[in-house]
Amino acid sequence: MKKILALTMFAMLVLFLAACGGDDSSEEGNTDSESEGNGSEEASGDSGDSNGAWTPSESIEIVAPAGAGGGWDTTARMAAQTMTEEGIIEQDMGVVNKEGAGGAIGWAYMAEKAGSNHNLFVSSSPILLVPLNGQSEYGHEDFTPIANVIAGYGAFAVAKDAKWDNLNELFEDMKEDPQSVTVVGTSSPGSMDHIQFVRFAKAAGVDITKIKYVSAPDAGGVTQVLNGSADVYSTGVSEIAEQVRADKLRVLAVTSEERLDGEVLSTFPTAKEQGIDETFVNWRGFFGPNDMDPAAVKFYEKKFKELSDSEAFADIRANYGWNEMYMGSEEYKEFLDKEKQNLKEILDELGLTK
Amino acid sequence: MLKGVNRKIGLILFLLSAGYLYMSFQLPTYPYIPVDADAVPKALGWVLLVLSIALFFTKDNDTEEQKAKRHIPKKDVMALLGVLGLLIIYIFLFEIVGFILMTTLFVFFCSWFLGYKKHWVNAIVSIVFPVFLYSIFVFLLQINLPQGILPI
Amino acid sequence: MGAIDGILTGFEVAFSWQGIMFVLLGVFVGTFIGMLPGLGPISAIAIMIPITYGMDPSLALVMMAGVYYGAVFGGSTSSILLNAPGISGTVASSFDGYPMAQQGKAGKALAIAAISSFAGGTISVILLMIFAPMLASVAVSFGPPAYFALMLLGLTAISSLSEGSTIKALISAVVGFMIATIGIDPQTGTARFTFDSANLLDGIDFLVIALGLFAIAEVCYLVMNRHKSMGGSGKDIGSLKITKDDAKEMSGPIGRHSILGFILGILPGAGATIASFISYITEKRMSKNPEEFGKGSIKGLAAPETSNNAATSGAFVPLLSLGIPGSGTTAVMLGAFLVLGLQPGPMLMGDRPEVFWGIIASMYIGNVFLLILNLPLIPYIARILTIPRPMLISLVLMFSLIGVYAISFSVFDLYLLVAFGVLGYLMRMFAFPAPPFILAFILGGMMEQSFRQSMTISNGQLSIFFESNIALSLIALSVLSFAFPIVKNLRGKKKA
Repeated sequence: MKKILALTMFAMLVLFLAACGGDDSSEEGNTDSESEGNGSEEASGDSGDSNGAWTPSESIEIVAPAGAGGGWDTTARMAAQTMTEEGIIEQDMGVVNKEGAGGAIGWAYMAEKAGSNHNLFVSSSPILLVPLNGQSEYGHEDFTPIANVIAGYGAFAVAKDAKWDNLNELFEDMKEDPQSVTVVGTSSPGSMDHIQFVRFAKAAGVDITKIKYVSAPDAGGVTQVLNGSADVYSTGVSEIAEQVRADKLRVLAVTSEERLDGEVLSTFPTAKEQGIDETFVNWRGFFGPNDMDPAAVKFYEKKFKELSDSEAFADIRANYGWNEMYMGSEEYKEFLDKEKQNLKEILDELGLTK
Repeated sequence: MLKGVNRKIGLILFLLSAGYLYMSFQLPTYPYIPVDADAVPKALGWVLLVLSIALFFTKDNDTEEQKAKRHIPKKDVMALLGVLGLLIIYIFLFEIVGFILMTTLFVFFCSWFLGYKKHWVNAIVSIVFPVFLYSIFVFLLQINLPQGILPI
Repeated sequence: MGAIDGILTGFEVAFSWQGIMFVLLGVFVGTFIGMLPGLGPISAIAIMIPITYGMDPSLALVMMAGVYYGAVFGGSTSSILLNAPGISGTVASSFDGYPMAQQGKAGKALAIAAISSFAGGTISVILLMIFAPMLASVAVSFGPPAYFALMLLGLTAISSLSEGSTIKALISAVVGFMIATIGIDPQTGTARFTFDSANLLDGIDFLVIALGLFAIAEVCYLVMNRHKSMGGSGKDIGSLKITKDDAKEMSGPIGRHSILGFILGILPGAGATIASFISYITEKRMSKNPEEFGKGSIKGLAAPETSNNAATSGAFVPLLSLGIPGSGTTAVMLGAFLVLGLQPGPMLMGDRPEVFWGIIASMYIGNVFLLILNLPLIPYIARILTIPRPMLISLVLMFSLIGVYAISFSVFDLYLLVAFGVLGYLMRMFAFPAPPFILAFILGGMMEQSFRQSMTISNGQLSIFFESNIALSLIALSVLSFAFPIVKNLRGKKKA
């Protein structure tokens, strides 16, 4: 009998608590009470001061839609840390990892936060590509772009004894026999590493439907190029800079408009100077959920500008090999719309859009 | 016809592999690769199909020990289902009510339900344990667990 | 600067008082986090990164390395006591560690684990110190065909992991492999068997399956036997006594798997989990009495415990000498290097010898600290088993649930955990062995990917598997290892 008593009491207590919980979160307009919960009072305090300037009234949660240690996670953590240390934002900023499916799990989580002014997340090109591939219900249109902060550039690297001296020689060979060249990257086809290569190959007139692309996670890409399994490594500049300095790999081209700064980096030729008129930026920035209060967007936009201009963040950029690339909300949105259109054309041609 | 455990399991596995195979054949094709996403699943599906048929026709030769494992007293069935029920309620309300409260309730009632009689000890453990873990995760490691309806 | 000078600088860093302090701090945090459910070295290091910002880079990295191998060291505790692996590298340790604890020898099991970990860690650091510069080329020598062959070799062991019906073992393995195919296929971007749920796009996490099949399924048995207490009296549980014979039994596996684990650790992508499984299997195969495995064999515990720690040191070879992160954990370490303003890569050894050799030298101290920290605690930790069953059950359930939640922060995964628990319970009830399931799950995914990578590279020619010497010899080994038990079986039958 006691057992049944235990079960019943558990059920009743839990129901009672759930009822309390339910009240709170429904008033705030989201059922997921991860970081909220202390309730309705603050929800109404959100739009705050009478003079219209919005300020955060509770701690801010930044979602990194990836695991600890990756690019998104690092950006989120470094931004949060710098903003706190430099006193740019007074409220606590916590980083939460929502890892999985190339970001789709994090975006699905953020989609539930519509209307909140205390939830931000970080993203880059995948937020355009993954929805195009049909692997995420949500794309950048479903969120509020706040500010872009940094940029990285791609690079195409080959083993140091490879037969190609520049990008044109590689593409000439690929025009003759696309099956003879294997391109390797970290992500799956249709995502960043693949598409950045395809873009340049297309600009050079290679038949992009015949490109052989292999996806190799866990740094398999650099290994495969070093041991000759694959020929070209399509990746980010910072991933291979050290390999080039140690004379293990050579860079055929970087995807930036102009040559990059830095002792090693400045030796990398751009595709442009080799006569291939194409560029690719891996921008990275912050977004808010849908229907964020415009006043809150203004607030964060300004704070990210301060962050971007701060010396502390300049040091961080230098450490990670990131470049400065600030865009405010409006400009960012236009940029994203245009970029998505470009990418869609390529994916359509490959037949990868869903 | 369905006498014997192997026959029943064989049949379940047969259906499972058929379902899995069906889904493998539904996978979209990707044109630029010699071995597509469906190749390995199809192979696995066929292998399981064959194995399930083989199991179906294998005689049961379980040891007595195994047979004893399958016989669960009714009391224990109730206990298992009770714990399962508690678990599901716990998970369902985990993010809504929050980590500390749910865990306290769960540990206390689950222990009681399974026959732990020292209620005071139980209460202390079931409060201290979640609070301790929560503090470590949230304050020390800065990994957020659901706070739910509590203010911290 | 020559290598000897470099090594000396490294020891200077490691044996300075700050060096010693930070190693101690690192391994302490590491063991602790390893013992906590779900939190593995990845989260541990990620947590440390902001803390070390602005610190002296060599000291900071010495500490983070300590966190890493400390977590692997500490991860075995819950595997052994509760059948609930704290990190994925210690799943294989529960195969024999848990039965041993059930027999009332928890203290001894923990002591064996600690000593094996210590020995594996230390021997592999010696290897690391001598061979790190040379082994760099080994790390990149494995192309996709060689990986495929390595995984194949691992999978042929399924027959040796099973007792009783071979059909049932095979079924377990095939289903495990099927579970591994869930999620987005990296080679094509196709979502497979996800039922249109975003929760499944990334596949199912290894720890969800391991905790479900082992910890939760075990809880079901504890529930049924809730009124009995654990074997042995309270006093014996904490006893660390290792006899001379025990020590003799451990020495073989420790020697072998320090080397095997180290080599597997060097290979990017293989890592501690795969190393521990392969070591366990190898040890069982080599054993004269394989029937003891799974029932509390000392060798069966010493082998994976040595191996996972040795693999951890091995993982530093590609990271330090090439700047290639072979696993999620070393990728986070690489991030830590960048934060500290260092560029890990082939030039690190020459540019910053104090960092390169400092990390390596500190591992000697770290392993000694781990042993000193862990051994005296064992009697107390082992007492967990004297907690009354009903309370223990609640706590183990809690432990597993938090562990899974801390990996993905997803409630969906908690339901999955329960589902795999039920599956694990049913599998035991009907005598389907769980180890082949787990093995096929971890090796299967990698095997499929490397197979298909190879085929893409070769334009669909199977001959690629016979072109590289490594792949060829591994495939030959797989064939032998597959044929061997069958032949042995036939012979045995003839005798009978």
